[in-house]
Amino acid sequence: MRWLALIWKSLMRSKRRTILIAGSLVLSVFTVAVLQSLLTTLNAVTNNPNSSNRLVVRHKSGLTQMLPRSYEAYLRQQTEVETVCALQWFGGYYQDPRNFFANFASDETTLFQTFREEFGLAGITEAQMKDYLRDGAGCIVGESLAKKNGWKVGDVVPLTGTIFPINPRLTIRMIFKSPKPSDENVLHFHYKVLEEGVPRMKGLVGSFWVRTHRPEDIPRLIERVDRHYANSAYETLTETENAFNLSFVKMLGNIGAIIQGITAAVVVAILIVTGNTMATAIRERTTEIAVCRAMGFSSTRVLALLLMEGVLLVGVGGLLGVLLANLAAGGVRSSLGAAMPFFADFAILPDTVISCMAGALAIGLLATFIPAYAATRRPITEGLKAVG
Amino acid sequence: MDANRFDLGGGEPIIILDDVAKSYWRETLEIPVLQGIDLEIPRGSYIALMGPSGSGKTTLLNLIAGIDRPTGGSLEVCGHHLNGLDDDELAAWRNLHVGFIFQNYNLVPVLNAFENVELPLLLTGAGRGERRDRVEEALALVNLTDRMFNYPRQLSGGQEQRVAIARAIVTNPDLLVADEPTGALDAKNAEEVLGLMERLNAELGKTIVMVTHDPKAAHHARHQIHLEKGVLDRTVEVNR
Ligand SMILES: Nc1ncnc2c1ncn2[C@@H]1O[C@H](COP(=O)(O)OP(=O)(O)O)[C@@H](O)[C@H]1O
Ligand SMILES: [Mg+2]
Repeated sequence: MRWLALIWKSLMRSKRRTILIAGSLVLSVFTVAVLQSLLTTLNAVTNNPNSSNRLVVRHKSGLTQMLPRSYEAYLRQQTEVETVCALQWFGGYYQDPRNFFANFASDETTLFQTFREEFGLAGITEAQMKDYLRDGAGCIVGESLAKKNGWKVGDVVPLTGTIFPINPRLTIRMIFKSPKPSDENVLHFHYKVLEEGVPRMKGLVGSFWVRTHRPEDIPRLIERVDRHYANSAYETLTETENAFNLSFVKMLGNIGAIIQGITAAVVVAILIVTGNTMATAIRERTTEIAVCRAMGFSSTRVLALLLMEGVLLVGVGGLLGVLLANLAAGGVRSSLGAAMPFFADFAILPDTVISCMAGALAIGLLATFIPAYAATRRPITEGLKAVG
Repeated sequence: MDANRFDLGGGEPIIILDDVAKSYWRETLEIPVLQGIDLEIPRGSYIALMGPSGSGKTTLLNLIAGIDRPTGGSLEVCGHHLNGLDDDELAAWRNLHVGFIFQNYNLVPVLNAFENVELPLLLTGAGRGERRDRVEEALALVNLTDRMFNYPRQLSGGQEQRVAIARAIVTNPDLLVADEPTGALDAKNAEEVLGLMERLNAELGKTIVMVTHDPKAAHHARHQIHLEKGVLDRTVEVNR
């Protein structure tokens, strides 16, 4: 028998109790890991390093208002600007309204340059690129979206418009890969399809995505563009891409506060439950602990053994919880990834795993320390007298 | 010190108590439990400590075994002045010098007989192989080799107490302290345990101090001393 065996056997004294408490730890860690990862995923949307030198220019009064396409010329004239891409959320669906994914009408001539990180251009052939540029009724789709719908290059995708009264039939000319899975759940088609198909869209667009040469240029540019169009018929709201995305995340409410609140509640609850369980487990062993101390186990040794028991318990519970959360993350990615693109990136990151495990260990130590310390302070003679 | 009024035979003393006292306080009220205990016990003795319930037998035994501290006087046991040791030193001293036998056996229920006996050896530097040899030897001595891997709940009371005795001797201590070791046993099992303790004294030379209020059990010891309301009686009965 070694120390670890002794600790393990002590822990398994009441299997039912140990399993119950480990089970609640598994659930708690699972819940916290998933919620915290959700938060991380949302934060990543609004802290995308790829967008550090991109700006979004849109109408000051909201996303449903359009801007003249002629603004593009002014934007291009700015020395800080590398390229500009006119882009409009189309909001169509394929076959079934529930089969939702992101689709845009965009300026095919500047799309790839503006979003070059997202398109991972390495995998795309020159021929495919030419095909798309040449075919006005062509479209491009991300690989995971194509896989999900069983699309191949050359297939025709009929889109049903929900915002605009057109149902374009688009031929897939390119299937692209992205470094980030969320960027693959997207379809783009030529802006002309929208402009020519919908009379009220003539000469108008929802947003311009501006790529600057350097991130440092951005604040100055924002200020200049908005000032330039102030008091015009179409006033602009210019912001960084991250700020733009944040306004969508904010629509979900103050998720951060809710998640932190739930996390705190779970931590407190599990601390109380674990503390109570460890206190009971240690109290039951009062005599046994006294006997061990009589035999020569020092207080420090007894304390260390009991603490390790607590740590082992929460360690196993925490590990299982994190593991389960990882499995669940895979499920979330495949089930929700297409509908809400950022869920395609949903993962339990190492940082979350580490903080969950650290939290669980802290709970185990704290919950065990109080009763364990009391047990080692108690006179041996008293412990020997205790019944049990 | 006038310990010689007890004639426990000659020889080098292994336990020397000098004017030992123990009191408890309830609020400001002092409750004396032991008073003016002077006692010298020679190495190799087998002493039965008798006395009515509440007379302080357990308290005295606990002081000798170093799991309690006196409120007055001094103790020298197995060559160490216990008053001068701190708690950790005292724990190490117990591991080295004292074996404990309790009325309720106090085996660890989740450990089998082998592991229970091995427990105090974990504190010594003994390696795996050495520990196994010593555990097997101790269990052979109490005649439980065939029960090595049984758990306490699979053993009879008598067997449990014999495992506890094996645990007490496995570290090869000089001194065994036993508090009512037969208190929970029927007559037959009690005889067996007492016989075993006699052998440990006679054959291995263990010094044994056994608390009991059972005259039959006390007769197995070589000497009986009596405690009455926290004071040692001057008479010593010699059994053999
Ligand atoms: N922790 C304690 N606090 C107060 N009194 C105690 C304590 N422990 C023992 N006593 C008292 O000391 C006396 C002797 O107890 P004990 O040594 O257990 O007697 P015995 O073993 O002879 O029956 C008893 O009157 C008991 O009530
Ligand atoms: Mg007693």
